[in-house]
Amino acid sequence: MAEFQPTILAFCCNWCSYAGADLAGVSRLQMPSNVHVIRVMCSASVKPEYVMKAVSQGVDGVLVLGCHIGDCHYMTGNHRTAKRIPLVKKLIDDMGIDEKRVRLDWVSAAEGEKFQKVITEFVKEIEGLGPNPLRGVRF
Amino acid sequence: MFVMREEHGNVAPALVQKGEDLGNVRIDVPYQLVNILETVYPSSPGKIAVLTRRCDEKALAELFKRGLLDEARIVMIGLACSKEQIRLCRCEDPVPSRVVVGEPNAPAKGDELETRLSGMTPDERLKFWTGQFRKCNKCFACTTNCPVCFCDECILEDRTFVPEKGIPPGLSFHLIRSFHLADKCIECGECERSCPASIPLLTLRKMALKDVKGLFNYRPGEKKTTSPLLTTLDDQPLAGEGCDEC
Repeated sequence: MAEFQPTILAFCCNWCSYAGADLAGVSRLQMPSNVHVIRVMCSASVKPEYVMKAVSQGVDGVLVLGCHIGDCHYMTGNHRTAKRIPLVKKLIDDMGIDEKRVRLDWVSAAEGEKFQKVITEFVKEIEGLGPNPLRGVRF
Repeated sequence: MFVMREEHGNVAPALVQKGEDLGNVRIDVPYQLVNILETVYPSSPGKIAVLTRRCDEKALAELFKRGLLDEARIVMIGLACSKEQIRLCRCEDPVPSRVVVGEPNAPAKGDELETRLSGMTPDERLKFWTGQFRKCNKCFACTTNCPVCFCDECILEDRTFVPEKGIPPGLSFHLIRSFHLADKCIECGECERSCPASIPLLTLRKMALKDVKGLFNYRPGEKKTTSPLLTTLDDQPLAGEGCDEC
């Protein structure tokens, strides 16, 4: 069997994390290529439903990246995210999916290196967890 | 006055007008009157008295908080649940703030299945829940009968999240419902009672509520002033407007 290559979604907010990802790319920082970046206008516009849908359809890991608290372009967007995502983590844990499969982190536009660090760490963590148990489950 | 009434051998919710004969009122039938009250409310001017169990009371608090009902128009008649009822709901908070009908009984000592599930490994838990959710036939009874499901457009009817075709609907249906109810579920157990596939939904709700309690130290229906947790920022009231985000 081929080595496990996790599929990972990263929701990046347009104003900070996406620019951070851009910076990481421009600076030619090396990182795993398992991550599919999705640009959203704000981390708060990532409906928790999207995260839960991804997890229940067999995506191995979901990253939600936003601006640091206090730096949100829309003032309070990331405060909302900071409430929602921890709850999503708990809910999927109740169902029996490891809560580490969802991660919320703050990456600013200047933190290309942090972006690299978060991605590398997360991919390593998911590789350790193995494939999403729901991947093979057919309802 | 809004009660459950028996007529010709059938028990159904009834709106009794002033001066009208009450008839055969049944207080032993578990049904969330608040659920129907939301439908009756706009078309019946004046005050409405409702028989409220503790859970109805909490549901009303959640609805007042969101500005969906006017507190001044509702009169609550506290109804204490029977022992049998408390056992069925595994209810830990069965006594209304003012008991008018019935005798207050002791609360239940937690949910057996919940304890069993939290003792399981994640894999066993996933197996249990996927097994349960395979029985789901997406009848939407849990949503229709939920007293705190009040959105005009239900997200579960959005084809982005729940595919139109395909039964059972998969895990996301139940995860999304769990999330939406996490800050307003009042543990009435109506979802579980109305589920034709007898999925232990109340246990799922109780688990989510425990998470919310652990994360934010918040319990739905407790304080009328606290803002809806997941919709607004801390203690920011929904000033008169309806809830358009949940």
